[in-house]
Amino acid sequence: MLQIKDLSIQVDDQVIVRHSSFVIKQGKITAMIGESGSGKSLTLLAILGILPKEVDVSGNILFKDKSLFEMSAKEIQSFRKDEVFVIFQDAFNSFNPSMRIGKQLFTLAERGRDSGYLAFLENMSLIFKRLDLSNEVFQKYPFELSGGMLQRCMIACAIYSKPSLIIADEPTSGLDVQSQTALIEILLDMNREYETTIFLVTHDIDVVKEIADEVLVMFQGSVVESGLLETIVSHSVHPYTKRLLTSSFRMVE
Amino acid sequence: MRPYKTKLICWIFLLVIVLLTLFSAYITPYESNTMNMDAVYEAPSQSHWFGTDHLGRDVLTRLLAGGKVTLIVAALSTILSLFLGLIYGGISGYFGGRIDSLLMRLLEVFLTIPSLLIILVFQAFMQGSVWSILLIIGLTSWYTTARIVRTEFLKLSQLEFVQVAKMIGTPVWKILVSHLLRNSMEAVFVVTLFNFAGAIFIEVSLSFLGIGVSPAVPSWGNMLFHAQSDFITGAWWVGIFPGLLIMFTVLSINIIGSSTFRTKRG
Repeated sequence: MLQIKDLSIQVDDQVIVRHSSFVIKQGKITAMIGESGSGKSLTLLAILGILPKEVDVSGNILFKDKSLFEMSAKEIQSFRKDEVFVIFQDAFNSFNPSMRIGKQLFTLAERGRDSGYLAFLENMSLIFKRLDLSNEVFQKYPFELSGGMLQRCMIACAIYSKPSLIIADEPTSGLDVQSQTALIEILLDMNREYETTIFLVTHDIDVVKEIADEVLVMFQGSVVESGLLETIVSHSVHPYTKRLLTSSFRMVE
Repeated sequence: MRPYKTKLICWIFLLVIVLLTLFSAYITPYESNTMNMDAVYEAPSQSHWFGTDHLGRDVLTRLLAGGKVTLIVAALSTILSLFLGLIYGGISGYFGGRIDSLLMRLLEVFLTIPSLLIILVFQAFMQGSVWSILLIIGLTSWYTTARIVRTEFLKLSQLEFVQVAKMIGTPVWKILVSHLLRNSMEAVFVVTLFNFAGAIFIEVSLSFLGIGVSPAVPSWGNMLFHAQSDFITGAWWVGIFPGLLIMFTVLSINIIGSSTFRTKRG
């Protein structure tokens, strides 16, 4: 579905991402794991095309065999609007602090498709019920909700707009363990139910082990290992991957 | 006293002052410019609560009428500077990069010129009109607003919700108004309040120096200008009352501003 070819990202003569190539397969959950500063987030921003202007990008990114860099403005727009949904790490900053949640979810999830606000709320409240959110949340401001609730609101949006690809940038960090598991389960459900392709960026090996089909290991700006989860876990080659696998908190069990 | 109580008192004080000055013409029994040579330098009494000045005009009446001029000049020039600051800072903060550094360097150049100096030169050309003083105060006091707006916009642009809004093709004006401007209102409000206090101060100091509003128009600064010589003759009331009123007005604006600033910081 998404093919990244020889992607390099450079900020002020400093190479952050070095010739990395990988594939995100349709209908699968691909997890990218790597330490902070290894270029995970920049790769993600490059896919979305929202890197700051000062940053140099080379290489190619293909979405359904079409280069994102050669798409017309209209095609890019529809890629970002209809195909992808992004869930960011910081749920608080994902919402405008001075607008009620309902209105924001409406603009986020609707993205130009026209059904009225009331019809939207009706559909959304079904999704909300499933995610254990009450309808009062629509009337609340972001600062009145917890990080976990906001993240679930984001997910609700994703479920509503049914994108073909969900990109999640460390969605579980900053949440307590319970919300983490809940969130991961929702993502799994989405993957099974709608065959949504999920690209998960994380530094938590336990999360990866729990849901990923495919794993990409990023180390100092390049993809050092990639493949099926089982293969990576049993036959890891790169020392960093080995270290990662042995550093799990739940190894004791 | 609890901070919010102080703030409330300041708001009430300001409101009273504003209402009194705006409707001064209907309240006071005297005309602000009617001279009465039989009642020159009369000390505060039943008929003239704050006394009379060197031309026998009622000080209280002139104080209220003068307040109208001073406050209107300050308010309009603050609004002017607010618009200039929003536009300049908004462009700088929204576009960022080269445009931002260019605009900010230019702003630093403006900042190095003391605004009082610019005002003095300007006033030398355009003596006296209320409009010219309003214009010049507005034109020289938008720098801080621009800087604040720019920092807020830069900070907010980094946040995910603005990024996403840009990504899904939200119209620029909508991002500017409902994402950026709306979330910087608090900071802008505080700086605008301080600007307002500053504008009152500039008007007063200019008129006190005799280069502000023309002497025929009563304003707080103009009253102080005359009070310099009146004070020597023993007529303390001509100077004290406008002085106190200026002090309390500026003080309460500053208190409101800084307490808003503090609650924002938590």
